[in-house]
Amino acid sequence: MSEFKYISPKTKEEALEILQEKKSDACIVAGCSNVLPNIKNKKINPKLLVDIINIEQLKGIYRKEDKIFLGPLTTINELLYSEIIFKEYHVLTQAAEQFADPLVRNNATIGGNLVTASPAADMAVPLLALGALIKIESVRQKREVKLKEFFLGPGKTVLQDDEMIVGIEFEQSDINKNGCFIKIGQRKAMAISIASVAVNLEVRQNKINQIRIAAGSVALMPIRLAVIEEFLESKEINNQLIEEAISKVSEEVNPISDIRASEEYRRYISGILFKRAFKKLTD
Amino acid sequence: MEEYRIELTVNDEKIIGTTKAEESLLKFLRRNGFTEVKCGCEKGECGACTVILDKKAIKSCITLALRADHKEVWTVKGMEKLELGRKLQESFVNHGAIQCGFCTPGMILTAKDYMDKNPLPDREEIKKAISGNLCRCTGYKKIVDAIYDVALENQRS
Repeated sequence: MSEFKYISPKTKEEALEILQEKKSDACIVAGCSNVLPNIKNKKINPKLLVDIINIEQLKGIYRKEDKIFLGPLTTINELLYSEIIFKEYHVLTQAAEQFADPLVRNNATIGGNLVTASPAADMAVPLLALGALIKIESVRQKREVKLKEFFLGPGKTVLQDDEMIVGIEFEQSDINKNGCFIKIGQRKAMAISIASVAVNLEVRQNKINQIRIAAGSVALMPIRLAVIEEFLESKEINNQLIEEAISKVSEEVNPISDIRASEEYRRYISGILFKRAFKKLTD
Repeated sequence: MEEYRIELTVNDEKIIGTTKAEESLLKFLRRNGFTEVKCGCEKGECGACTVILDKKAIKSCITLALRADHKEVWTVKGMEKLELGRKLQESFVNHGAIQCGFCTPGMILTAKDYMDKNPLPDREEIKKAISGNLCRCTGYKKIVDAIYDVALENQRS
């Protein structure tokens, strides 16, 4: 067993300096949902736990002109009970409501959920449908990455050892207001999703003006379904279109069979979840 | 091995102790005599280790002990000092909402924390509120009954 050390920086700058110096020996602790189980299962072996809970700069939900900014330390319960999120970005409230359980939601953070990069990450799916942008910083540089380009595979993201998420941003717009997230799991609480789908949609005169479709647990990482999005754009909404879209969703997802469900079932249910979400948004 | 000194209150009494970076709050509390905090799955799934930290119900098995430094912790033993805690304890006994008793400390703390924020929950809200606490004996009915009875009592008063 290695020797662990603990440090709790008070500012973002201090935290970035520590990451710059310690690189992969450091492990950031945010909501603390995964760190201890991961240490116990020897999935990670850091020398230094960098507890960022006291960094106020990384907390909060703000409106910035026509955008919304989420601090990465925003907890899932803060999102769930945020009035502005409920009114303007309902898709995120719906996902927060189904996230783990009320106790875990008290601590778990939106940034932590993204960095963990689980293919089943419940908050990543609505954020993909909102077209979220991830703000990343290190001592070396500041950069922005679209969430759809953030994940590289299970547990893998574009973040370098010395980098940290410092914000999540998405636009205030008609399409972001009109969203729906549906998750199917083996039970109602503490369920890792079998499949999840989020749809954000803007309709003009019964035509799809803009659509974003995201899915979880159906690929190596949470994904946007770009092929079907392109197919649907500018089309007139009718039952035939929806039926075609269902089968295209089932084709575009790329799931595996595992302990929770088979590949076939995941393909089938992805189409169904898309239909349910789409109908909810258009009825 | 590096040790860290922490200072906190548990059930309104000051505790000073030492901990390690990777020690959970659950292990720290049990090591210091608070064995009413139960160790179940140790991966944040069962809720047996629930405590109230800084006015929020959390799973102590996945929380760093160092996070409790200068904070306020409540365990089930402290509930008798608080009106709502006492009411919940009595209601659990009256309803026989206990079989093996292993989940009971966590259930009562989760219910206490939830009812501080929503004193008049309906049965559905109660079921959602305790969805992070597993019970393998009772089938939950008596637990929900016990909590709901306190809600009814709150409504009357």
